Amino acid sequence: MSRIEEREPATAAASGVDLSVRLGRLELANPVLTASGTFGYGLEFGHLAALPRLGGLVTKGLSLQPIAGNPPPRICETRGGMLNSIGLQNIGIEAFLHDVLPHLAEIDSRIIVNLFGTTIDEYARLAERVDREAGVAAVELNVSCPNVKQGGIHFGHDPRLLAELVTAVRATTDKPIAVKLSPNVTSPAELGHAAREGGADILSAINTVVGMAIDARTRRPLLNTIRGGLSGPAIKPIALRIVYDVARAAGLPVIGIGGIETVDDVVEFLLAGASAVQIGTALFRDPRTPERILDGLAERLVEEGVRSVSELIGGLRVEGEAAPPTGAPSERRP
Amino acid sequence: MQALDLASAVEGVQPRPWPYYTVALRVSEHYRSVAPGQFVMVQAGTGIEPYLRRAFSVFDVSEDAAGLRVELLGKVIGRGTARLAASRAGDELPLLGPLGHGFEVSAAGSRPALVAGGVGSAALLLLARALHDRGARFDFYYGGRSALDLACGDRFQELAEGSGGRYVTTTEDGSAGETGLITAPLERSLERSRHDAVFTCGPHGLMRRVAELARAHGVAGQAALETAMGCGYGACLGCAVTRRGGGYALCCKNGPVFDLEAVEW
Repeated sequence: MSRIEEREPATAAASGVDLSVRLGRLELANPVLTASGTFGYGLEFGHLAALPRLGGLVTKGLSLQPIAGNPPPRICETRGGMLNSIGLQNIGIEAFLHDVLPHLAEIDSRIIVNLFGTTIDEYARLAERVDREAGVAAVELNVSCPNVKQGGIHFGHDPRLLAELVTAVRATTDKPIAVKLSPNVTSPAELGHAAREGGADILSAINTVVGMAIDARTRRPLLNTIRGGLSGPAIKPIALRIVYDVARAAGLPVIGIGGIETVDDVVEFLLAGASAVQIGTALFRDPRTPERILDGLAERLVEEGVRSVSELIGGLRVEGEAAPPTGAPSERRP
Repeated sequence: MQALDLASAVEGVQPRPWPYYTVALRVSEHYRSVAPGQFVMVQAGTGIEPYLRRAFSVFDVSEDAAGLRVELLGKVIGRGTARLAASRAGDELPLLGPLGHGFEVSAAGSRPALVAGGVGSAALLLLARALHDRGARFDFYYGGRSALDLACGDRFQELAEGSGGRYVTTTEDGSAGETGLITAPLERSLERSRHDAVFTCGPHGLMRRVAELARAHGVAGQAALETAMGCGYGACLGCAVTRRGGGYALCCKNGPVFDLEAVEW
């Protein structure tokens, strides 16, 4: 038996198309990243996927102290997706910086460190801790984990608090700051705007959608925590809508996340206004999803006569509505 | 040996009897050194439901002129298991494996007991074969609700009796073997100091009871656990198992085989 997909990858260089994208100060070789919490710390799965081909790798969320996570059962599959309640299990920032980051320097991919705390001070200390690390390209603030009370979710639901949080982090690091937005609010765009006010460079949208699942026979919830975060293809329409709204309203580059697993999915998110995407749950089904997408994306651009992938960003064709802003800050509000 | 995501080719699906079935897959040389208790993540179908792969124990490995064959033993329960059972000869299935940490055969002692509940037997055939081949005498205890649940019993019987040990069955409805739970004959044997090690796979309640009995009789043992799994390779952190004394282990990476004393049952 041969490895699946043994054909030569249609690299961007070979096909003459430009896959690079620019999110403010963050430049990426291509727009495909792995989402936080779906690829560990990046080192563990090198034998299953070609890491150097990734535009970027977002680490599992890191806190000041290690966290053991939630009791089982932590996941269950639902139609077109899955619910998780991992509980922010992680090895802690110090172990990451000492044991993992030095090895990540060996792979030619941008490393984005996902951070979360329980207080503004904790976020600021985490960002300060990674500010000196040359191997870290950017930080992503998790202000939207639905599964633990201490996951910073209150910051992601209150515009004033969020602006205060980002301001504090901004003061401790020069690295680009991405803020990962919650879909579980009335207006994610309003939160995106608040993040920008605080000094954020990038918005990541979306985190998981709060949901639940029940076993009709046992009459019990399928997750220990009853509620969990829904991910996978089931949430893609929600994510597209929020990326569209946030890109138009907040005037910052957006990284689209939510149910992405095909070239079409990526193109749709770019058209909606995302400048890059993160692959999450699809990795569990197929660790080579990013490679597959990158090959297909280069082919698609050639097929459509598009020379640079950035031409697709915000390119949604809408009758009678102005095209969304693609990069320059805008004061428009929804 | 690192797990790889390789294509396998379906050779055929056999009822054992239905709703139990085995799927024979032609696999690469990569599966030559699979350890008893290891598993694979199978992607059956490309649709949206089931979305995630399903974990299956490597039930058996055999070889003929055409190369290596892996068999998986399944039971049709949900959409994932039904999809695999509907595979046809010639279908190509992505197979991620072999995964996890298997049984430590060297801890088998001189007279081990293997205790299976229903389709949990899928994790124990390679172990039975390994014990048989190294000349260890073992008893195989196989329990189910009815005779139907003792899938592929003939293979276990042949190996156990071939090793000089016994093949013991129980069913809750009395349709085969002793009426009752498989832990009853196991307990009688442990009381007679018949075993110095125990290996188990089956429903959680069965394994918990086996762990209690093993502890009460001062016998060491291992269990192959089953949990929901998102990825099977340690990325999603979804398959947590509560450790005795606190903290969590990952079923896919630290297990699926655990020392009976390591688990908070």
